[in-house]
Amino acid sequence: MPQIDLKRIRKEFGGKRGTRRWTAINGVDLSVEVGEIVGILGPSGCGKSTLLNIVAGLESDYDGEFTIQGKAFGQQIASGFRVAYVFQEARLLPWKTVRGNIEFALKAAQFPANEWRDRVDRVLELVELTRFAGFYPQQLSGGMQQRASIARAFAIEPDILLMDEPFSALDEMTAQHLRQSLLKIWSAFRTTILFVSHNAMEASFLADRVMVMSQGPGATIREEVSMAGVTRPRSYDDNSLIEKSKAVVNALRRHSGRSEVALV
Amino acid sequence: MRTSATNFPDTAADAIPASEPVATRFSGFDPNATDVLISLISVLSLIGAWYLGSWALSEKVLPAPHVVAEVLYEAMVKGAIWKDIGITLGRIVIAFSIAMSISAALGFTIGLVPAAAVFFRVWIVCFITIPALVIMLTCYMVVGLNDKAAILGAAIPIIPILTINIRDGVKGIDPKLLGMAKAFRASRAQQVFEVVAPQVAPILVASTRFGLGLIWKMVLFAELLGRGDGIGYQIEFYYQMFNMKEVLAHALSFLFVMLFIELVILGTLEKWIFRWRAQ
Repeated sequence: MPQIDLKRIRKEFGGKRGTRRWTAINGVDLSVEVGEIVGILGPSGCGKSTLLNIVAGLESDYDGEFTIQGKAFGQQIASGFRVAYVFQEARLLPWKTVRGNIEFALKAAQFPANEWRDRVDRVLELVELTRFAGFYPQQLSGGMQQRASIARAFAIEPDILLMDEPFSALDEMTAQHLRQSLLKIWSAFRTTILFVSHNAMEASFLADRVMVMSQGPGATIREEVSMAGVTRPRSYDDNSLIEKSKAVVNALRRHSGRSEVALV
Repeated sequence: MRTSATNFPDTAADAIPASEPVATRFSGFDPNATDVLISLISVLSLIGAWYLGSWALSEKVLPAPHVVAEVLYEAMVKGAIWKDIGITLGRIVIAFSIAMSISAALGFTIGLVPAAAVFFRVWIVCFITIPALVIMLTCYMVVGLNDKAAILGAAIPIIPILTINIRDGVKGIDPKLLGMAKAFRASRAQQVFEVVAPQVAPILVASTRFGLGLIWKMVLFAELLGRGDGIGYQIEFYYQMFNMKEVLAHALSFLFVMLFIELVILGTLEKWIFRWRAQ
């Protein structure tokens, strides 16, 4: 049974107070297996983030079926099912320290308070922020803030990790470090990951499968590119990875209606 | 399982402030040596300007600072002024509480509910346009020449201004942080106390400071128009007798009261709310 199962998902926006109604996504089918990393790639405005928000439970007003391990989302939450989200911006609470921010997620996930210290220490070591536990977000660089946000996500040992262009606000060097770091942590937890990207190289580097979406409105998944041939742990110089990411770019070109799509 | 292969720039040099600046709308009262010096020069130059004015004009029109201070000191020793300060302060507290509660309720409603914003737009424009004098006189006519009317007359003119102030603050609340809390399944209580409240508190402190600055002038004005006690009445009384020493001494007494509230009470509160920003 797949971990995440989406069938014929359709989401409309607008229509309130005289705004124009429009269909963001229409007819999306997607299933993600346990422990799999799936990337969703598409032109901007194609409704990628909307799809993640539906899986996160932030969007409830949509048509179609969405289940996690065969159960409706609400039932799963009730049985202690955990979802973590890494956003494009770190979204740390500025009035809490790095430790406080991670504890916020632990509290939300109802971990007993006496476990917090150990859990925070462990994830901070994974993202190499141990020395910065007592720092406030504004004292950290953008890359460090995003590492803290990744730590917050892994701290609750999520069943599903959602990521919305998590590295797009960072410079390429920092982003490469963080992607590698993310895969290391993933190999320890084998968390199911569903992420969104507009960067073909990033999607290919992280994912087992890359789903390419068409241009909105009414966007849908048009093509699936499997990364089966690319072994883990991955390296940016791997020829098979470069070949695969070219295939992803070509798919993106075909479905975005544009020809100027670059590799990164 | 330490990720030793990936060497992040883990030095203190990496801990530079993030590119996105944290909002600096509300500055706390946080004295350091330079600030204290500048403040001292500022106060001295203000007193100097006052001396210059009293020297240029006649002593009867603008008495010198030390003369006014002497009169104030005597009034404080004799004790009569304390009663008026107490009465005025009482009216300020009640009028402010009324204005603040209504403005907070309105400001949050308008900030969060688009239909309410449309509904109250005309109301706010109307009440902001009506001169405070007209509102006070109307209150005295409708309610009668009593404390209730004075307090209402002082509170009503500042409600639309405070409402706009609070609405702007509410609009500045970051919905993304709330989205984060919801994605991590934070309980409603956790969302309110750990995500919303820390963003609402600075708005309330800022509008308290703003509102107190407005309301004490309104209360003095209302006292001058229709009360037989309080600092506003005393200023009016001594003005009728052309006694500028007493007029200024009474004004000065309240200036000190408001400075105390502003710097000590609000300053401390603000410092506590923004303790995370001082790091």
